[in-house]
Amino acid sequence: MNSVGRSSKPGRKIRKDGFLYEIKKNRILYLMCVPALIILILFCYIPFGGVWMAFTDFNVLDGIFGSKFVGLDNFKFFFSKNSMGWQVTYNTLVINFFGIIFGTIVPITIAIFLNEIRNKTYKKVTQSMMFFPYFLSWVVVGAIIYGIFSTDVGVANNMLRFFGKAPISWYSEPKYWKEIIIIADVWKWSGYNSIIYLAAMSNFDASLYEAAKVDGANKFQRIFYLTLPMLKPTVVVLTLMSIGRIFYGDFGMIYGIVGNNPVLIDEVTVIDTYVYQTMRTLGFSYSTAIGLFQSLMGLILVTVANKVAKRINEGEGLF
Amino acid sequence: MNKNRLFKDKLVTIIAYCFIGLFAIICLYPLILTISVSFSSEQEIAKNGYSIIPLDFTFDTYKYIFINSGSKILRSYGVTIFITVVGTLGAMLITSMIAFAISIKKLKYRNIIAFICNFTIIFSAGLIPWYMVCVNFYGLKNNILALILPSIFSVWNMFLMRTYFSSIPSSLYEAAEIDGGNYFTIFIKIAMPLSKTALLTVGLMYALQYWNDWWNSLIFINDKNLFPLQYYLYSILSNVNAISSGRVPSGAAGGIALPAETVKMAVTVITIGPIIFLYPFVQKYFVQGVMMGAVKE
Repeated sequence: MNSVGRSSKPGRKIRKDGFLYEIKKNRILYLMCVPALIILILFCYIPFGGVWMAFTDFNVLDGIFGSKFVGLDNFKFFFSKNSMGWQVTYNTLVINFFGIIFGTIVPITIAIFLNEIRNKTYKKVTQSMMFFPYFLSWVVVGAIIYGIFSTDVGVANNMLRFFGKAPISWYSEPKYWKEIIIIADVWKWSGYNSIIYLAAMSNFDASLYEAAKVDGANKFQRIFYLTLPMLKPTVVVLTLMSIGRIFYGDFGMIYGIVGNNPVLIDEVTVIDTYVYQTMRTLGFSYSTAIGLFQSLMGLILVTVANKVAKRINEGEGLF
Repeated sequence: MNKNRLFKDKLVTIIAYCFIGLFAIICLYPLILTISVSFSSEQEIAKNGYSIIPLDFTFDTYKYIFINSGSKILRSYGVTIFITVVGTLGAMLITSMIAFAISIKKLKYRNIIAFICNFTIIFSAGLIPWYMVCVNFYGLKNNILALILPSIFSVWNMFLMRTYFSSIPSSLYEAAEIDGGNYFTIFIKIAMPLSKTALLTVGLMYALQYWNDWWNSLIFINDKNLFPLQYYLYSILSNVNAISSGRVPSGAAGGIALPAETVKMAVTVITIGPIIFLYPFVQKYFVQGVMMGAVKE
């Protein structure tokens, strides 16, 4: 290994701290990374080349880099009055906003109450039941929602009839569907998410609760003055992570529940489903531009959320 | 004072039992509804609507489905099982190898590799460029690989596994290294057997993801022979006539009215069937997965 000194020549002689030396020394470990990296390159990095389409008027004949350059026209159109840009952005933000709010409150409530339950069997059985929706695909959830809201045979209308009210034809009334989708979202994830809070609560110092008990605090007070404040860091981190993704709609959720229903789709179209729809109607360039807009907003928000998390958690960021 | 406290404590407990019980029922109710409708007769459903107790209990719907589209459903089942098994095994291998490699602290570029992975979570090219590349360059249109490859590596799962591998003391590896083992044999012989729970957890997460996936088929698959179960259900739901238009062999299905409502629910039951039977046994691993993720946060 006397080559170390005169290693300026590239190639055969390899410096001990050099790139090639490291690769060679740990080649087996690096080789083990290769399959995963190939997948990432194929499906995440190569597609970045296609982002150029967002700035062109793409047509198949001229190809991605031969099509006419149009600058920011596609983005301008997205925010013009003729497009649904504002509408779908609004839909995405509203559905996600309420999803975050209720998707935090409900799981925390479940976790706190589960913690109060001493009967092991009851706890186990109910917890399994609440975990069940997590295992269902959105298509299956869509089928279930159909069973509840179908006009002629659905459970919801059966109940309305039972109480002497007129049935509603849910599938042709767009105004209910944001709420239905938010409820479905909370329903599907609450049991799963409550586990995160239960995990956090299992690390809480039991002696604090004992001390509070000795001081005469009842359970209400222990929940409000001990459990909830101690859950705050977990809530902050999870909320920041969700805010980082607030521009991303859940494609599967929207399409699984509403599908192609032309009456309802405008009310609940989120950016993700809009991209998919416009791909077929308004062309690849326009939908690429929307996707890029979404990714950029996501990147900005994640960066901001990470900074905020670092400030709150004393240097510990989200990533 | 003390009495008041005891009363309030009792009240909290009672509220807790009621709330949890109620929410648990809300979570399971749709499943029971779906199953019971699938065993009801179409006429009763049309008359009385969906009911939590099977109306006029019958297997007619299932008979009808298997007579008319049994081969299609079996085929879709085959597709789903194939992509679930092949996809999960491939994903496990790919994910655990890279997770193990970057859990080794002396690997100099492990942070760069982690960043290459992480970056794909926070920034992406979007659907359209991804779709074009997949269809034009990789030929994934109507290709069964389209249902496997795009989801074969999840960065989240990789970080879960890395957390687990990192907790294995490196002294165990050093001993094996002195004995002349290379890192691949260490991975197979030491790291993997020590991480059985983590492997099972991540494996089940991948399996569930493959079983429930219909997004890739929505994007890439037109060929009915390649429909996985979930997408088959989706196509029925969005157009229930797809199944009604199937020719009814007059002898075999004579006397059975054309079901529509019950068919939807029966196909749903068929789609989630294995999950219903398996999830009580595997859910603890998913709980573990959440816990492992929570540790990292």
